[in-house]
Amino acid sequence: MATNPMLQFEVHSIGPKIQIGNFDISFTNASLFMVLTVALISIFFILATQKKSLIPNKIQLIAEMIYEFVSKMISDTAGKDARPYFPFILSLFLFVLVSNMIGMVPYSFTVTSHIIVTFVMAFFVFIGVTVIGFMTHGISYLKLFVPSGVPTVLLPLIVVIEIISYLSRPISLSVRLFANMMAGHTMLKVFGGFVVSLGILGGWLPLGFAIALTGLEILVAFLQAYVFAILTCIYLNDALHLHH
Amino acid sequence: MNDIKDLDTKIKRLSTKEVESDTKPNSSMGIAMRLSSEMVAAVFVASLIGYYLDKWLKTGPFLLIFFFFLGAVTGILNVVRTSKMINKD
Repeated sequence: MATNPMLQFEVHSIGPKIQIGNFDISFTNASLFMVLTVALISIFFILATQKKSLIPNKIQLIAEMIYEFVSKMISDTAGKDARPYFPFILSLFLFVLVSNMIGMVPYSFTVTSHIIVTFVMAFFVFIGVTVIGFMTHGISYLKLFVPSGVPTVLLPLIVVIEIISYLSRPISLSVRLFANMMAGHTMLKVFGGFVVSLGILGGWLPLGFAIALTGLEILVAFLQAYVFAILTCIYLNDALHLHH
Repeated sequence: MNDIKDLDTKIKRLSTKEVESDTKPNSSMGIAMRLSSEMVAAVFVASLIGYYLDKWLKTGPFLLIFFFFLGAVTGILNVVRTSKMINKD
């Protein structure tokens, strides 16, 4: 009965196998849950913004709370110049949050526990921020890599260090989200396995752990979505306001 | 009339005042994860750069070793920066 705790992360195709060239683009369970995430967000917001009453009903209130939360986060960390990027950050935050939360439902699949998914998001953030930086500052955006007040002897080393630091951003962003989700879900599954293998006598302790971990995982799911969004804001802030 | 003026000042005060956010989730576990991933990512990226530079320039393992240590330095720098930022807010 004790199944492999990593089995939950397995990607398998559902439906017909579609292949273009060397690429297998069949519809998988990962794609299904991504579609589900996007559909859930869309349906929620369509429902919430349907009435648009001055005195909001409950669902509209929740939508407004999400909107204000993200809006405040952007203005706190990146200033009002980051206003045009609000839709992107809101979508990013909601996608990560909702796919994390869908992952908390038993028997479902956590999209964000795959590094390729988180890495693609982080990589697009990275590319976007770099493009925005060059668009607003032109070539002087490269000053980001040259901190002021450094002795000339150390400058080549510092520039290399700064470049590594800049390049490590998408990696740290994606690894953090992926590692958190995967570690949490593996741990839950391991404790679930303990409950089964220890049976009715010894199974109560791991069951308690599993329940506590579920609560912790819901916190982590929210926290990681928040961290992902706020770090995007911080990188955006660096790109919009050069301060070195 | 007085009431309306009162209301006006009240609205002005509320709209200028920053709404205190108590929803900032800055749990210690989040901070720990943030710092550790910052460290690991820098070492990883730097080692990767060193590895491919070595392959390109055929300089044996020297650049890999050099960039590994440079990555460790960068990682520590990143951690210091991140913790400064966390302390600030």
